[in-house]
Amino acid sequence: MHLQRFLWIMPGALLAPSSACLIQETGPMVDFGQEVAPVLAAHCYRCHGPEKQKMGLRLDQKAAAFLGGDSGEPGIVPANSARSELFRRISIPDELDRMPPDGEPLSGEEIALIKRWIDEGAAWEDDGSEKMEETPHWSFQPLGDPTSPLSDDPWVASPIDGYVLARLRQGELEPSSEADRVSLIRRLYLDLHGLLPTPKQVDKFIRDNREDAWGRLVDEALASPRYGERWAQHWLDVVQYADSHGFEMNNPRPNAYPYRDYVIKAFNSDTPYNQFILEQLAGDSVGKDAATGFLVTGAWDQVESKEPAYTALQRQDELTAMVNTTGTAFLGLTLGCARCHNHKFDPVPQRDFYAMTAVFAGVQHGERPLYSKEDAIRLSKQLEISAEIEDLRNELPSLRPAISSSRNLERFKPIRARAVRMRIHSTNSAEPCIDELEVWSNETNVALTATPSSSGDYANNPKHKLEHINDGQLGNPRSWISNKPGSGWIQLDLSEPAIIDRVVWGRDRLQRFEDRTPTNYTIEVSAVPGQWTIVSGSQDRLPFGTQGGKATASLNSHELTSHIAEAEERQRALMVTPSAMVYAGKLRQPGPTYRLYRGDVMEKREIVAPDTLSALGRLDLPLDAPEQERRVALALGIASPANPLTPRVMANRIWHHHFGTGIVSTPGDFGTNGGTPSHPELLDWLARQFIQDGWSVKALHRTILLSNTYRQTSSPNTAGLARDAETRLLWRFPPRRLEAEVIRDCILQLSGCLDLSMGGAGFSTFEPNDNYVRVYIPKESLGPAEWRRMVYMHKVRMERAPLFGSFDLPDAGQVCPKRNQSTTAIQALNLFNGTFVIDQAKRMASFLKTSGGDPVDVAYRSAYGRPPNATESSTARSFITEESLVAFCRAILNSNELVFLP
Amino acid sequence: MTPINRRDLLGHMGSGLGAMAMAELLNAEGLLKNDQIKIDPGAPHAARNPHFKPRARNVVVIFCSGALSHIDSFDYKPELIKHHDTPLPGSDGLLTFQGANGNLQQPLYPFRPRGECGKMTSELLPHIGELSDDLCYIHSLHTKTATHGPGENCMSTGYILDGFPSMGAWATYALGSENSNLPAFVAIPDPRGVPQSSLNNWGSGFLPAAFQGTPFNAATPVRNLNRPSGISEKEDLATRAFLQTLNKEHLKRYAGDTEMAARISSYEMAARMQLSVPEVTNFSSEPLHIRKLYGTDDPNVLKAGFARNCLLARRLIERGVRFVQLFNGAYAMGEGKGNWDGHKQLKTDYDIHGPILDQPAAALIRDLKQRGLLEETLVVLCTEFGRMPTFQEGTKGRDHNPSGFTAILAGAGVKAPFTHGSTDEFGWKAALDPVSVHDFHATILHLLGLDHTRLTYYHNGLKRRLTDVHGHIVEPILS
Repeated sequence: MHLQRFLWIMPGALLAPSSACLIQETGPMVDFGQEVAPVLAAHCYRCHGPEKQKMGLRLDQKAAAFLGGDSGEPGIVPANSARSELFRRISIPDELDRMPPDGEPLSGEEIALIKRWIDEGAAWEDDGSEKMEETPHWSFQPLGDPTSPLSDDPWVASPIDGYVLARLRQGELEPSSEADRVSLIRRLYLDLHGLLPTPKQVDKFIRDNREDAWGRLVDEALASPRYGERWAQHWLDVVQYADSHGFEMNNPRPNAYPYRDYVIKAFNSDTPYNQFILEQLAGDSVGKDAATGFLVTGAWDQVESKEPAYTALQRQDELTAMVNTTGTAFLGLTLGCARCHNHKFDPVPQRDFYAMTAVFAGVQHGERPLYSKEDAIRLSKQLEISAEIEDLRNELPSLRPAISSSRNLERFKPIRARAVRMRIHSTNSAEPCIDELEVWSNETNVALTATPSSSGDYANNPKHKLEHINDGQLGNPRSWISNKPGSGWIQLDLSEPAIIDRVVWGRDRLQRFEDRTPTNYTIEVSAVPGQWTIVSGSQDRLPFGTQGGKATASLNSHELTSHIAEAEERQRALMVTPSAMVYAGKLRQPGPTYRLYRGDVMEKREIVAPDTLSALGRLDLPLDAPEQERRVALALGIASPANPLTPRVMANRIWHHHFGTGIVSTPGDFGTNGGTPSHPELLDWLARQFIQDGWSVKALHRTILLSNTYRQTSSPNTAGLARDAETRLLWRFPPRRLEAEVIRDCILQLSGCLDLSMGGAGFSTFEPNDNYVRVYIPKESLGPAEWRRMVYMHKVRMERAPLFGSFDLPDAGQVCPKRNQSTTAIQALNLFNGTFVIDQAKRMASFLKTSGGDPVDVAYRSAYGRPPNATESSTARSFITEESLVAFCRAILNSNELVFLP
Repeated sequence: MTPINRRDLLGHMGSGLGAMAMAELLNAEGLLKNDQIKIDPGAPHAARNPHFKPRARNVVVIFCSGALSHIDSFDYKPELIKHHDTPLPGSDGLLTFQGANGNLQQPLYPFRPRGECGKMTSELLPHIGELSDDLCYIHSLHTKTATHGPGENCMSTGYILDGFPSMGAWATYALGSENSNLPAFVAIPDPRGVPQSSLNNWGSGFLPAAFQGTPFNAATPVRNLNRPSGISEKEDLATRAFLQTLNKEHLKRYAGDTEMAARISSYEMAARMQLSVPEVTNFSSEPLHIRKLYGTDDPNVLKAGFARNCLLARRLIERGVRFVQLFNGAYAMGEGKGNWDGHKQLKTDYDIHGPILDQPAAALIRDLKQRGLLEETLVVLCTEFGRMPTFQEGTKGRDHNPSGFTAILAGAGVKAPFTHGSTDEFGWKAALDPVSVHDFHATILHLLGLDHTRLTYYHNGLKRRLTDVHGHIVEPILS
């Protein structure tokens, strides 16, 4: 337990006893030491004492007892036995929940004693437990400032090598020699670009005798846009990016890609990592809307249920995914555990989870307009004008004129509409009658082409018919009457969506009748089927029949009205249409967030303010902090140099992708359940260096790539294999099977088909379908439209990509900080027999024939970066003569030398 | 990361200070502490020992997708018949998945005693009912969600969310397979298409891809299994041989690297699968009486299709495939049309679906039994949740009911005839001896010789389990 951190949260609870003494009742107060402690010792300490702390609860120390156990419920709330979990659990009638679970239950007297003691203020002498401090888990400790060992050793080219060598020597191992140049350049390109170097690039590097040839090659590779495409994929894995929503409907998410493109761009332009964090959590505050796609990368259950509890659970699952992804991606912490109880392994009390939830409480799944920078400026000006108009409107007389039987104008802010509905709740007499309902979009009455419907029509009267409501003819003889006295509704479904700003209606514009006039009504607009917005109604009008309300005719309000009209004109001139939509979350001011008892959505507890993890400090936001401000504050806290987790986690992530295993082998979990660093000082040195280099990811790559550690050969040796088969100590560069994307992109590269165009909507390898639950059937054959890099291939959640899905592609169902590496017969079948590979082998054969060189030689150079030796060459040639060049290409595309990182 | 256990580690590394230093490092990383299973990358499906002596060696799950109504099939409720067309007590203002409910509705198919045990089951699935002497009914299942996708996720993976390993993946991760020429875990989709939660039902989640179920059925072969068209057998064989020459040449530079050797053997296994999968899907050796038993040539093509899948399931089990998941019902055709989701006109829908499931599924159990395979095979018939004892307001169908439903177990290690637990008098909520989906999973793993609390895999901060942090073995049903 990490008591220290909890004490920040509950100072009130600990101070309360002394003040509670003031409201002492008659009779002596219960004495804790004399009376309460013996009861607790007899019944509770066996499971919740110095030896054992079941469910994280300890009752023999003051601080821990007040805090409570893993459930997150406060153990003792001074002067409030009802809210004290201790009292609740000893007194609860349900035997299954009552404590102690076995053995003697507490007597009625003992229970009453504890109740009285708590209600008197739970006075408990200071036992020092509040000040007890435990050393925090290593990852929460400040970054060390180590000095690299062995800097004099000839092998040590960078501090990285010093740390690695020192650790190797502890294990009685030595580093391997430098890899040959072919392996080095192939390793670098496959690692940084996920593509092969061309034979020309290989030759150039082999012939480059300059001292800094490697450094130049690294710089060149880092400057290529191919780099961002490769490394963005690693990040997209972590955040479970997909182009579909998941769950049973699994509908496409067609505007997710701007986020994917944002990530690619961010890596390519070396966006400082602290900025990258801010943009993803609150890009809307800095003109980077697409970046907040991060917030809603998770799956979205679109199935709507009528069960309120289930709907609440779905929402809670969405929020949990946001908190979880943020925790894993930036902090290397698995926060989801704290949804139901205090984290069992890490310093994350349940309350922290809900504080983080409150940060995201205003984020809904969905699309927002993607504005350009210029648009954003126009928009903010528009908002200013809106405020101005609001002020002017406030100066207008507060109530509109009373309803007239002849004609009523309802003006409202322009709104997009598919349907308009007038709901009548009362009339001055009988069934309501409306002679005409006009709906205006600019100067057009769009009601005229709309389809009317109603709650029910007056029977059998040729004057009063539904179709009269929008026939353009005024007066009682062409009107509609409801079939219910005093109420009814009339709806117009527009022939096409329109922006409307006013509705005009009357009972009888020929002014013969004044009966049947609605006296209480609302005008509603719908842009999405089933969702209605009230835009106007009788609520701000003077009561029917009142003569007042003429104030609008006064000079003052005329002036105001013209000011308003002028401001609206200026606002219209600033109208922008978004250049595109982006699936980056719909943002709105949320209501309060509650802590949920055991994570149960129906068991709300206290309101929780938006905040970061208590172990990282405090954001000091009010309960009703503006939505965006919450996310900005969280981002700044996460990216603060004072937070040691953020740089450690990212430095480790980068290391993990270069070497296949991180210094911490669990890149998404730096908690006590995760791995401990194999080279702790190296990790801190990298993290420090990362911050010093202005959070530059490219600088971090460079630091790692220039080390001798990275440049070792990957060939094994007996001592290494015997002592460290997993190569955790890096006695060689660890070779490994390439990821699905790399294999596919390299195949396209070797056939000369790879299309390097960047960005945009991407492509799908599934047949299009519009079933209400999507069924994804792989396309039978693929063509140039599908020959772009795989990072642009639509990622369908939970659906295995054809052919390459068997190569441990994450399914985007959960965060994936680290991919599996399995080898299966299904992979072999797919790569050996799949239509895509067979087709590509044919294309590669044609490509080789047109290359001008000897096909075997060119194939070896392109695929393996080296020419074939004499035996290889003659074996290949006789195979081609016997079979075909296509068959030769099929074998090359399946070969280990191609699909393993050297 | 390949999991390691301490004995193997020390055994492989010999002794010496270096080895101990390495062991210390791994110990510090927490990797030795857990029970993760060591997988040989060259043979990920090699048979592995269970935690204790198993009762079942393999499993067939018959998954009735869309929520099969327990009320109209197996859960006999005389009180429901007595109170037909009266309000369900305690349902004031109750909103279920699709909204309001009408009055109680008696079963749409009459019940009568079946088997020597006299178990009351309905006319909907008479063939299955007739097998009651060999069946163990659990009437008190309950689950966490009333939505199909999450419900199927829960029944197949233990979690309502996407992204968790399926039961078959867990079983094959733990036990490997008895047959190295066939996939260890086969998912057999319904001839009409895939179920609601599709691949989640047989996905490997965060377990290595080696433990994904391989989907194929009697009509649709394994993708990319066959020699590509236009390539002769001679060229195909020669290419494979040439590829292995390339790979062996490459391996010389990486002597001792298991990953590269594993990839070479994966191509050998693939070649064996090319022979063994067509063999298992070729029914020409099945005698007429067996084909008739299943109904593989029934004029009802949907029934015949499902019957062929059932026969395929038996042939897979016979050949030592560890886990077979057989689906009855597909989603894409819409509510109730191709599955058990009878919201609006349950009887009309079930009159179609009943015969498709009934005879073939019963034949599978009978056939396994007559071959002695039922002694070492566990058959599970389940669905994602139950249905309400009421009709939905204004319809002739029943809404989702996660609070009570029925599953059937048969075969290895299970009491039969036996009935465990019950719903309340109307069949709404599990009342006596409730069984959660976690309990259900814990019991299935137990029958396979696996302790559900020890079958773990480290993923992102937690040692994950099929049963999350829950699950108790349903002891009374064990024989």
